[in-house]
Amino acid sequence: MASKDGISSVLSDPRTQAFISALKRRQIKGSWHVARETIEILRLAIGKKTRLATLGELITFVKQVGCALVEVQPLEFAIGNIVRRVLFIIRDEHRQATRGDEKKEGMYSFMLGPSTGEQHLEEPLANNGRDLKEAIFSSLKELLELLENVHSIIADSAFEFIHSNEVIMTFGGSKTVETFLKTAGSKRRFDVVVAEGLPSTKGQALALALSQAKIDTTLVPDSAIFAMMARINKVVVGTHAVMANGGLIAPAGTHLVAMAAKHHSVPFVVCTPMYKMCPLFANDQETYNDMTSPSTVLPFEEVDSLDKVRVQNPAFDYIPAELVSLYITDDGGHNPSYIYRLLSRYYNPADYSLE
Amino acid sequence: MAAAVAAVGALTEVIRVSRAQTMMQLEKELKSASEVLKDYSDALSVASGCDLFTRFVLRASGDYPNFDECKKKLIAKGQEYVKISETSRNKIGSLAAAFIRDGMTVLIHGYSRVVMAVLARAVNDGKRFSVYVTEARPKVDDTTTGSASAAKLQEMGVPVTLVLDSAVAYIMDHIDLVFVGAEGIVENGGIINKVGTYQVSIIAKACGKPFYVAAESFKFMRLYPLNQKDIGKMTKDSKRSTDDMWSQKREIASEEEHNKIKMESPSQDYTPPRYINLLFTELGVLTPAAVSDELIKLHY
Repeated sequence: MASKDGISSVLSDPRTQAFISALKRRQIKGSWHVARETIEILRLAIGKKTRLATLGELITFVKQVGCALVEVQPLEFAIGNIVRRVLFIIRDEHRQATRGDEKKEGMYSFMLGPSTGEQHLEEPLANNGRDLKEAIFSSLKELLELLENVHSIIADSAFEFIHSNEVIMTFGGSKTVETFLKTAGSKRRFDVVVAEGLPSTKGQALALALSQAKIDTTLVPDSAIFAMMARINKVVVGTHAVMANGGLIAPAGTHLVAMAAKHHSVPFVVCTPMYKMCPLFANDQETYNDMTSPSTVLPFEEVDSLDKVRVQNPAFDYIPAELVSLYITDDGGHNPSYIYRLLSRYYNPADYSLE
Repeated sequence: MAAAVAAVGALTEVIRVSRAQTMMQLEKELKSASEVLKDYSDALSVASGCDLFTRFVLRASGDYPNFDECKKKLIAKGQEYVKISETSRNKIGSLAAAFIRDGMTVLIHGYSRVVMAVLARAVNDGKRFSVYVTEARPKVDDTTTGSASAAKLQEMGVPVTLVLDSAVAYIMDHIDLVFVGAEGIVENGGIINKVGTYQVSIIAKACGKPFYVAAESFKFMRLYPLNQKDIGKMTKDSKRSTDDMWSQKREIASEEEHNKIKMESPSQDYTPPRYINLLFTELGVLTPAAVSDELIKLHY
């Protein structure tokens, strides 16, 4: 089949290969890089499609490439999210080009199930799809530009949330939070308490970066989170992913910060770019989790004397939506109960499942 | 076939045989037909299904100004809906079964066809789990109680335990998640369901266990209850449900004595949205907040 060939040529491309092997070895640092590479690969993939007969063909093709990438590292949610967003762009560009009617879909979707615009999928594309591709490329370019600035867009709202003389706690190290706090620090004076977030050393790196930016920073061990919480005005953390019910998949330990914040009625604010919003549901710690190498908890050199010890090193915590006060995204601030609505603005329900 | 779907089928038939010449006439005919259907069945979903379809007809009339064309469209959509609805329980099953994992213990309340479809789907997917099912008294008829669920699950080869409604708090410790059906889904994302659902949800919340609802979208209704009294008008206090209490009372009092004892046996209760984690419908997985969104799509 022609479409299958298309996929293997995408997957064997050196850039894709490099991305896949980095994913396998967990060498990619952070969702942002994952998101950017995914856009680049999809752009390349769409570019390789020289003849496009129908919209359906293109969507299936992008879904297949997306699926292949997701399978490599299913817990890198940004891959799937970007694929869904690109699919949304494709559908949107096509609709704009054909001035497709959107009239009163709501009522009909209610009676007859969600409309996916399937009726357009089989229509032949004008000019072998070249016009559509051009439109998609320019949208993807915009998406990449947005991605380049995403941290600073989120940080733009920092002044609304961080006030003078406040004490802010954060956990581990997140690029988004770093930019957020630095932006606030450019005009205001406040204290930051950074919990280390062991076994990762990102908290230490963040504390260093903040203090270099002349922000009063205190590094505390994770065991001091509860004790410190009484003095904190706001908790600001990053996350790995945001689930469709408003819950979080965040680095292990974030849950205890959220619980401590709840106990002391401290607002728990999450800074997240939109590409971390997943149309997937988690309900407990096991739905999406990853048991990572124990070597960061217990170094291999010490294992000889401790060979009967079982070491577990989960990568993530699931934090239920009730513990989150606010999400600050590149699309503004939102309540956890509003996430479902954001999802429908960024993804088409037909793409929630990529299979 | 669910009663509500049959009702939509019946209303479609009303449109087909109708001799109405204008939208107004047709609407009137549909309204009186709906009244007949609602009188005939006290299932909430028949009322909500009829209301939804009537609303649909009104909306469509705006889109198709030509009456004959509109009528044709409505009949086609009505028939299509009846056809699609057969698959909606399967669709809900596949969405919800993903939440059941190996080794889990699921609590269900009484008998619900949709919940049974979810569990059947999970069994088909090769999941190994066990189920606790509440009696869900009063027994209004044989098909709505927990024993009916227990028998069916036994047949499916699922380890099942029947418990008293009063034992829900006792067993909640072992439970991983709760699944209930619904007779009606109200505007704020809460549900109206077999009495006892509310207390199960409160206990689940108190113990930090997820509480899920599985129901088809024709159960969406435009009602905004604030407390249990607000659904009083909708739910008929069934004589049969007091009969179930009656038999027990006989043991403690003479005929004359127990006539003096007042009995109350509501058949349904209202579960507010704050106790519900997610609703599984054929429109997708919804948070309670998303329910009003779907209703807004429908009415505005």
